[in-house]
Amino acid sequence: MKRCFFLLRGVLTLLVLGMLVTSAWASDALMDRMADFDPSNPVVPKGDTIKIGHLNPFSGPAAMNGELYHIALHWVAHDLNKQGGVMVDGKLKKIEIIKGDTMSKPINAKKAAERLILGDKVDLLWGSTGSHISLVCQQTAAKYKKIYVSALSISDSLMDAENFNRYTFHTPWTTSQAAKSLAYFYAKRPEKKFYILCQDYSFGHALAEKFKGYLKEFRPDAEIVGEDYHPLFTKDFAPYLEKIKASGAEVIFSGDWMPDSVNLLKQSRDSGLNLPFANMYMDDPITLGVVGVEGSAGLVNANQYMINDMDPRTRELNKVWNHLHDSKWEEPYNSSLYVWPLGVVASAINTTYWMMDVVERAGSTDPEKIIATWEGDKYNSFAGVLEMRACDHVTVRDTYVSEFSHPAKWFDNFSYIDKIVTVPSYVVEPPLPEGLDRCKK
Amino acid sequence: MDATTAMYVGQIMHGLAYGMLLFLVASGLTLIFGMMGILNLAHASFFMLSAYFCVSVIHMGGNFWLALLAAPIITAVIGVMVERFLLRGIHASGHIGELILTVGVMMVIMEAVQVFWGTDSHMISVPSALAGMVNIFGLQYPLYRLFVIFLALAILGLLVLFLFKTKMGMIIRAGVSDAEMVEALGINMPLVFMMVFAAGTWLAGVAGVAISPLLSVFPGMADQMGMDAFVVVVVGGFGSLLGAFVSALFFGLLNSFGIQFLPRIAPVLMFVFMVLVLSFKPKGLFGERE
Repeated sequence: MKRCFFLLRGVLTLLVLGMLVTSAWASDALMDRMADFDPSNPVVPKGDTIKIGHLNPFSGPAAMNGELYHIALHWVAHDLNKQGGVMVDGKLKKIEIIKGDTMSKPINAKKAAERLILGDKVDLLWGSTGSHISLVCQQTAAKYKKIYVSALSISDSLMDAENFNRYTFHTPWTTSQAAKSLAYFYAKRPEKKFYILCQDYSFGHALAEKFKGYLKEFRPDAEIVGEDYHPLFTKDFAPYLEKIKASGAEVIFSGDWMPDSVNLLKQSRDSGLNLPFANMYMDDPITLGVVGVEGSAGLVNANQYMINDMDPRTRELNKVWNHLHDSKWEEPYNSSLYVWPLGVVASAINTTYWMMDVVERAGSTDPEKIIATWEGDKYNSFAGVLEMRACDHVTVRDTYVSEFSHPAKWFDNFSYIDKIVTVPSYVVEPPLPEGLDRCKK
Repeated sequence: MDATTAMYVGQIMHGLAYGMLLFLVASGLTLIFGMMGILNLAHASFFMLSAYFCVSVIHMGGNFWLALLAAPIITAVIGVMVERFLLRGIHASGHIGELILTVGVMMVIMEAVQVFWGTDSHMISVPSALAGMVNIFGLQYPLYRLFVIFLALAILGLLVLFLFKTKMGMIIRAGVSDAEMVEALGINMPLVFMMVFAAGTWLAGVAGVAISPLLSVFPGMADQMGMDAFVVVVVGGFGSLLGAFVSALFFGLLNSFGIQFLPRIAPVLMFVFMVLVLSFKPKGLFGERE
C-alpha cells in the first residue's frame, strides 16, 4: 500500500513537472517566435506568399482604426511565418499583409479593394471598421469572387437577406449579440431604470432598438426613462447629461465608440454624474485612465473577448505581448492602449488565427475551397468555441460581460475587468436573417 | 432648487459655456475676414493645433496653465508664418487663391498632427485647481466650465479695450471698413494684416487649450468646430465682433435647449436659423459686408 502511494506520488510529481516544462517551453516558443516582432516596422515577406489585403482607414480622422488592427494582423502573420508559413497548394507559404486605405469613405473603400484585388492580386480581403464601409468591401469582394473576412463591423444587416453573399464571412459578434449580452446581464440586477444615449446613425439606433427588445424579454419590469441620439463626434455632452440627471435613471446604456465614448464618460464624471454606463467600447486604457479608479468603477462592459488568464493560450499571449510592449515596441504601439492584448484587438487576433487555420485546412486560397471548409466550421479559439453558421456566415459564440472594479489584475490606475460573466452562445445566438432562402431549410 | 429648475438653469449654464467657446473660435475667424477679406478655412485647424501643443506641453512636464500661455502663442507664431510666407505671396491673385491656399493649409495641418502626435486620442485632465463642482444658488456646476465662461468674457473685455481704446485698435477698425483708404494714409497694412492674423490664430489657440480638458484631442476635432464657427460668423455678420459674440451665445443656448426639447432635430437647428437670417439679412445680424 505504502509502495503504491509512493509510486502515485512519483507519477504525480513527474506529471506536474512535465506540465511546467511543457508550459514553459510553449511560452518560450511563442516568445522566441515573437521576440523580433516590431509592429511599427513589421517584416513583410515577398515572393510566392499568401496575400491578405487589410482594408481600414489609414489616413484622416479615423486613421487610428487602421493602426489598431494592423498590429493584430501582423501579429498573426509574424507568428505563423516564424513557424514556416501556412501549407497551401502543397507548399508552405508565408503571409504578406498589404494595406488598403479606405479613408472612411465608401468610394475610397471600393477603389482600395479593387486595387488590392486587381493590382496586388491578394488572396483574401480583411476589414473593415464602419458598417457602411464594410458593406462596400464585401460587395466588391463578391463582384471579383474573392473571400472577404468581415472582421470588425458588427451590424446585423451586413449579413441579412439583402446583403448576404457567400464570399463574405462575418467573424466578430453582431449588434444583436452585444445588445442581448447587456440585457441578459441586467436580468438579475437591481437596476431597472435605463436611459439610452447612442450615436445618431443606423448602428446607434439599431443597437438601442435591440437592447429595448431584449430588455423587455429578460427584464419585463425595466423602464426606459429617456432616450437620445447625439451626432457623431459630439463636442459637448453637457445638455444630454443634464437631462439624464433629471430623469432618475440608474444606468446609461450607450454604444458609443471613440472619441464619443471617451468624451461622454469624461464629461459625465467631470459634471458629477457617476451613473454606470452599460457599454461596449468604454474599455480602453486611455479613456479609463482619465476618469481614474472612481470614474471607471461600476462600468458594465460587454465584449466578444475579455482579457483573462483562464486559457493557457491567453496566458501566453498576455505574457509575451506585455513583455514586448514594455521592452521593445516604439510609437504608436508603446502607448498605454497596447499594454495588454485587449478587447477588439485580441478578438481580431483570435479570429485571424481562425481564418488562417481554415485556409490551411482548405489547403488552398481558392475561394470555393475556403467556403466549403469554413461553412459550419467549429474552432476551439482562445475566446471559446467559434462556429461559422453555414447558412448566413455569421459567427455563433459566447460573449462576455464584466462590471469594472478595483483592484483589478490588469491595471492599477483605474477600475477594470475582474469577474467575467459568460453569456452562453445558445443565449446570444443571433436570429437567422428573415427572407434568406439558405436559412429556411 | 427643485430638479426641474436645476435642469433648466444647468442648460442655460451649459449653453453659455459652449457659446463662449464658440465665440473664442469665431472671433478670430471674423476678425481675419473683416480685416483681410479672407475666409480662413484653416482657422479651426489652428484651434486643433493649439490643443495638440497643449498636450505636448503637459506631456513634457508642464501644466495646464503653462499650456494656456504657451500653446496659443506658438499657434499664433505659425499663423504669422502662414500669413507672411504663404498668404501674402498670393494676395495679388485675389480671394479665390487665398481661399484655396487656406484649404491647403488645413489639409497640411490635419496630416501633420497625425505625423507628429499619432492617430490616438489624447486626454488632458481638468487642472486640479479647477476640478470639482461649485454651488450656484443650489445648482452643482462644474468649476471648469465656469472658468471657460469667465476666460472668454475676460478675453472679450481685452479685445474691446484693444479695439476701442488703442490707436492700433482704431487702425484695425478702420481697416475693417476700408483697408485701401487706411493704406493710403501711410499705415503699413501688411504689418497690420499680419498682426490681425496672429491675433485671430491666437484666439483659436486659446479656445483649443480651453476645450482640451473637456474633449479628447484627436485629428478630427477641428471638423465640427470649424463648421459651427463658420455659421456663427455668417449669422453674426462677417467682420463683426459683436455679431460673433451675440450669435455664439445664441447658438450655445440653442444647442442646449434644442437638445432639451427637440433632440432629434437639435443638430440642424443652427443651420435652419442661418438660412432664415440670410433670407432676411444677407449681411448677417450685425454685418456690413456681404
